[in-house]
Amino acid sequence: MTDPAQVKLELADMIAAASDGMVSAADVLAARHPLSALGLTSLARIRLIDTIEDSFGVDLDLDEDLSSFEHVDALAARLADLLAAQ
Amino acid sequence: MTPATVAFRGARAGEAPLTWGQRLMWRAVHLMGPSQSFLNCPWVLPVYGRPDLAAVLDGLRALIERHESLRTTFADTPGGPVQRVARDGELTVPLVDAGAERPLAAAERLAGELGRAVFAHEREWPLHATIVTRNGRPAALALAFTHLAVDYHALALLSADWRRLLRGERLAPPPWQPMDQAGLEQTEPFQARSARAIRYWRSVLEDVPLEVFDHPPGEPEEPRFIEVGMESVALAAAAARLAQRWTISTTSVLLAACATELATVSDRPRAVMQLVHSNRRDPRTQAMVGTVGQDGLFVLDLPGTDFAATCQAAHRAALTAYRNAHYDPAAMTAMRQEIGLLRGREPDLDAFVNDRRDGAGWPALPALAPGADLAPLTSQTRTYVTNAWPGVRFKVFFTVGTAPGTGELSLIIDTAYLSRDKAVSMLLDIEAMLVRGAAG
Repeated sequence: MTDPAQVKLELADMIAAASDGMVSAADVLAARHPLSALGLTSLARIRLIDTIEDSFGVDLDLDEDLSSFEHVDALAARLADLLAAQ
Repeated sequence: MTPATVAFRGARAGEAPLTWGQRLMWRAVHLMGPSQSFLNCPWVLPVYGRPDLAAVLDGLRALIERHESLRTTFADTPGGPVQRVARDGELTVPLVDAGAERPLAAAERLAGELGRAVFAHEREWPLHATIVTRNGRPAALALAFTHLAVDYHALALLSADWRRLLRGERLAPPPWQPMDQAGLEQTEPFQARSARAIRYWRSVLEDVPLEVFDHPPGEPEEPRFIEVGMESVALAAAAARLAQRWTISTTSVLLAACATELATVSDRPRAVMQLVHSNRRDPRTQAMVGTVGQDGLFVLDLPGTDFAATCQAAHRAALTAYRNAHYDPAAMTAMRQEIGLLRGREPDLDAFVNDRRDGAGWPALPALAPGADLAPLTSQTRTYVTNAWPGVRFKVFFTVGTAPGTGELSLIIDTAYLSRDKAVSMLLDIEAMLVRGAAG
């Protein structure tokens, strides 16, 4: 689970699942556009946060910078920090 | 005509505590008492193709068998309110000839009439149905549901099922029903999420002003609660343009504008509003017929440096509100009572926003050249004033309507605090704010 490449792939799948088919895992990994621009809605984002929290056992804080929710690399980095802090 | 009977037999029966969504509605239903029919959901299912009466009744049977919510009664017990799913039963369905009326129009009128009855939740099925016929053939189904059984998302699911059932498709039973949801909500992660949401609400309630408005109530109009509405293509076009410019939803843009207007009118630096939303963020609830909605608490500090900043802040505030919109209503009530003891009384959170649209945009908006000046469109804007539904009592309640080709924004007000002229000017201010933003 600590392999960053593996975490990134898992996150891409989670983003695709949360988006109701609006965004594919391939689009997420290609990372040419922010997730909002790809069509990830607010509700999908909350769903994603729930999934990440349930799967990785972490607590994500929405008061922090939201830009890490725009790119899978930034999200993976933030998740790695949270996992390392546990 | 002799009424028809639909005899149904579903896959299982059972009793469970209420889901959080049901619990909230249960409370609302009891608070509203005789006015609770406001909460009923009238709905029309057109009869597609030319099926005979037996096929239509069979479609209705299949619908009730599929969705446990449609064969559920609700009761107070010493251990708290419960949902009781019946495996089998019968629903009586009157038949009404449309006469000279268009069948769909007749069905809409009948659904509205059915919706005015108060449901006896302990002993009645949660839906009333009438079949509208024309020339002896079924043409439409007029329905009214108690809001304890469905929300608007659930009604859309029923419509989609109905279309397929009438085509003769056999549908697998949905895997997730309100009784399953009630069980899930007892589990640790859901309780933890509920506790976190309640902490967030508490942090807001600790210092929110006790009243929505600082000024004392004046002499209200008769009737006291009215609804003013606006239909504005300019509003929709401007919101759509701004949402695209800043890659946020049109909901966030409209929230920013409504909250700015409320803050201006109440002369405060912070707008606090309850956000009504469908709350089906758990994928399992997406195909579930039931009532899932709970309110979020939306907090926006103003003014931002400019409208762009306000919209971005509203976007973030909406995320926080959605995230903290799933909680155990009993625990929420207990927390609010505790705040009431600490502060002398519970703060009045009687300002609401409800975006009823399912998607984010207006699919049938007239096409406009990119960058076209939107100001001239405001000359087509129409406003109206009607009485609020009897029993509806809100200080401020914004609703974004579902018309696909124009921006519908309505505002229910308490005329003891705001005049009807003020309410109309608030809607026009919001339109102007958005049109100005889109031009900038």
